[in-house]
Amino acid sequence: MATAPESAAVGVSVWEVEPGERRKPGIVHVVMMALFIGIGIVVGTLGSLAIPIGFVSLFWPGQAVQALGGIWFGAWGVIAGMFFPFISNALSGSAPIPVSAAYLPANFLQGFLAAAGFRWLKADPRLRTWRDWAVWVVIGVLLANFLGAFWGTYVLTWFGLITEAARPTALFGWFIGNSVPSLIFGSILLKYVSPMILRSKTFVKGWLA
Amino acid sequence: MPKAEIAKKTLLGVVPVDSPFYRFHPATRLMLLVFLSVTPLFVDLPEINLALIAVALFLLRWGKVQLGQIKRYLPLLFTVALFMFTVAYLAPGDRAMLTPFKLLGLTFYLEPIWWAFVSYCRLIAMLFGAILYFSTNRERDLLVALRTIRLPFAASYVLALSLRSAGMFMEDFATIREAQQARGLDLESMSIADKVKLYTMYAVPLFAVALRRADEISNALFARGYTLSARPATGGKRSDYLRKQYRLLARDWVAIAAMGLVFGAVVALRIGWGAFTDDASLLKALFRWGVGV
Amino acid sequence: MTVRWAVEVEDFSWRYQQAREFALRDVHLKIPEGSFTLVVGPNESGKTTLMLAIKGLIPHSLPGTLRGTVRVFGQPVEHTSAPVLAKRVGYVFGDPEAQFTALTVEEEILFGLENIGVPEEEIGERIRWASELTMVADLLDKPPYDISGGQKQRVAIASVLAMRPDILILDEPTSMIDPLGKDQVVQICAELKATGSMTIIVVEHNVEAFAHLADQVVLVYRGQVVRVAPPQEFFEDLAFVAQHEVSPPQVTTLFALLRERGLYNGALPLTDEEGIAAGWQLLAGEGR
Repeated sequence: MATAPESAAVGVSVWEVEPGERRKPGIVHVVMMALFIGIGIVVGTLGSLAIPIGFVSLFWPGQAVQALGGIWFGAWGVIAGMFFPFISNALSGSAPIPVSAAYLPANFLQGFLAAAGFRWLKADPRLRTWRDWAVWVVIGVLLANFLGAFWGTYVLTWFGLITEAARPTALFGWFIGNSVPSLIFGSILLKYVSPMILRSKTFVKGWLA
Repeated sequence: MPKAEIAKKTLLGVVPVDSPFYRFHPATRLMLLVFLSVTPLFVDLPEINLALIAVALFLLRWGKVQLGQIKRYLPLLFTVALFMFTVAYLAPGDRAMLTPFKLLGLTFYLEPIWWAFVSYCRLIAMLFGAILYFSTNRERDLLVALRTIRLPFAASYVLALSLRSAGMFMEDFATIREAQQARGLDLESMSIADKVKLYTMYAVPLFAVALRRADEISNALFARGYTLSARPATGGKRSDYLRKQYRLLARDWVAIAAMGLVFGAVVALRIGWGAFTDDASLLKALFRWGVGV
Repeated sequence: MTVRWAVEVEDFSWRYQQAREFALRDVHLKIPEGSFTLVVGPNESGKTTLMLAIKGLIPHSLPGTLRGTVRVFGQPVEHTSAPVLAKRVGYVFGDPEAQFTALTVEEEILFGLENIGVPEEEIGERIRWASELTMVADLLDKPPYDISGGQKQRVAIASVLAMRPDILILDEPTSMIDPLGKDQVVQICAELKATGSMTIIVVEHNVEAFAHLADQVVLVYRGQVVRVAPPQEFFEDLAFVAQHEVSPPQVTTLFALLRERGLYNGALPLTDEEGIAAGWQLLAGEGR
C-alpha cells in the first residue's frame, strides 16, 4: 500500500519528547490560546451568521476550531474551544450567555476528544496515513460531534427551545450540520497548517507544553 | 459643517460616543448584562419577558444607541421564530395528550405552540441583554469590570488579547475578501459548496498569521516584563492603574442593589411560591380564545 | 574615572533552534553607561540577534544554543527575570504593530508600567511625560493599530520610554515610516540623548540620520562585531565601511571624494549641517 512506507518513514510519533528536549508551559502558549479564542470568535461568528438559524447550528465550522485547538495546543486549545463560543454566540446573536454556559460540557468534549484521541493513539496531525485519517474522522469529527449534538440538543430541550419529540431530528440536523463543515474545514487545515504548527514553539506535545 | 461623531467603532461593534450609561461604573453595566441574561431563566410568563425586552429596548434608546445597528439581528430573530414554531408544528410530541386546533386548514397543537412562544420570549429577552451590553460597552469597559470583580489578571488579559486578535483577524478576513472582489470574484453567483471552499481557504493564511503573531506578542510581553504570575520585580502585587480610574459611586451601588433585589425576589417567588409560570398568562388566555380551545 | 559598563558581551555565540549556523560568533562588545551607540551592518548580519541577547529574549524566550555571557550592569541576562530586565532594558521592535498588546494607546503605554509595579499614583504622570515627549498625547484614546505608521512607531517608543529603562534599544526605528515620521523619531532620540539619563542603542540602516548623535558606531558583519569606533573615526575608512556593505552618509562620501582629489583636508562631516559648514570653509579657502 502506498501509505505504508510513508507510515514507516513517519516512524517516531510527533508526540514523543526527544531525549534532552525541555518543554515547559510559557507565555507563548497563553498568547496562542488568546489568539485561538480570537480565531474561534471570527470563525464561529461568521459561521453562525452565514446561515442565521440561531441556536441550532446547521452550519458551524467552530467545532473544527475546537478540535484543531485541542490537537495542536493541548489543554490551551481545549480551553480556547470552551470559551470562544460565549463571545461568538453573543456577537452573532445565536445564543444568550446562559445557553452558551449550558453548552460548556459539549464545547469541552468537542475539543478534548480530538486532542486525547490524537495523543493516545499517536496519530499524526498532518494526516499522513489512513490511520491518522481514521482517528480524525471517527474521534475528532463523528464521535465529538455526536456527543456535542447529544448534549447540545439536551440543552435546547432543557431551555424549551425545541420539543422533546423534535430532539432526535434536531440531534441529527445538528450532528450533520457540524460534522460536514468540520470534516471539510478541519481536514484541509490539518493537512496544510499542521506542518507549520509542528515546527513552531506553540505546538504542545503533552497537555501543557 | 462636519457632522458631530455620535457613534464610535470598537472591536465589538459600534458604541455611542456619549451615553448616560457611561455615568455608571463598568462593573454595574456588567451586572446589568448578567441580570438581563439570567432573570428570564426563572420566568415563564411571557408578559414579563416581553416587558424585559421592552426595558432593554428602552435602555438602548436611552443609552443613545443607534437603533439601526440592531437591524442586523432581525433575520436571526425571524429565522429562530420560524424554526421554533415549525419544530413545534412538525414534532409536537404525543398527540393524544395534546389539545388540537385548526388554523388555515392545518392542525396545530396548543401546548407545543404555546411553549414555543414562551421559550422564544425568554430567549429573545436574554439575547437583548447581550445586544444591549455589546452596544454600549467598549472592550476597556469589559476589562475594567472584570478586574473590578477581581478576575485574575492573566484571565482578563487573555480576554483582552482574544478580542484584539478577533478584531485583527476580522480585518484580515475583510482585506482578503475585498481584494478578491476587486479582482472580479462574484460571491452572489457562487454555489454554497464553492463558498465553503473559499471560506476554508481564507482560514489557512489566518492560522499562518496567528503563529507569527503568537511569537511576536510573546516576545513583546517578555520585553515589557509580563509574567504568568503577574508579579512585578519589586515583589508584591501588580499595579492596577486602569481599574483605579473608575470608582463605584452611590448610583452604582443603588443600581446593583436594585438589580440584586429584583433578581432575588424573582428567584424566591418562583421557587418558593411557584410564581411567574405561564398559567397566569393573559396572553395564554387570549391565545386560547383566539384559536377557540 | 572608571567607566561603568551598561552592557558587556563576552565570547558570545548564539545559534537559533533549527538553524545550521550560528547567528553570532564569539562576540565581544562593551557599551558605556549613558552613551549613544549606533549599530550598523547589512541585513542578516546578526544586529537584531545581538540586541535580543542584550534584552534577554535570548535565551529566555527564543530556543537555541548559547555560549558566552551577556551582562547588563554587571548582571548576567540569562539569570535575570523578565520584570527585572524590563526595568533595565527597554526594547522597541522594528515593526511597531508586532509589539502592541493593548486596545488603546493609553493602555499600551500603561501595560508595562503595571507589569513592573510602578505605583498607581505615578503611572498617570509617566503616561503624560512619555506621550508628550513622543507627540502622541492626543492619541491616547485611539486603538494603536488604527493610526499612521509614524504614530505607531512613536506609540511603541512611548510605551517603552514610560518604563524609564536604564538602557533603551531601538531596532530599526525608521524602517517602516515616512520621512516626517523618521525626523520625529530622530528628534526624540536627540532629546533623550540631551537628558543623558539613558544608555541608547539604535540599530539602523539609515546611518545618515543617527551618526551625528552617536558616541560610538558598532559594525556587525556575518555574525561578528568587526569594528567599534567613534563616528568620526569610523567613517574615516570609507573603503572598509563600503566593503562591509554599509552606506555612509552622502555628505561624508562627497567630502571623502573631495579629500581624495586633494580639494579638502578637514574632518569628514557626518550631517548636512556639518557639510554646509565645511562647504563654506572650502569656499572661503580654509578647508584645503
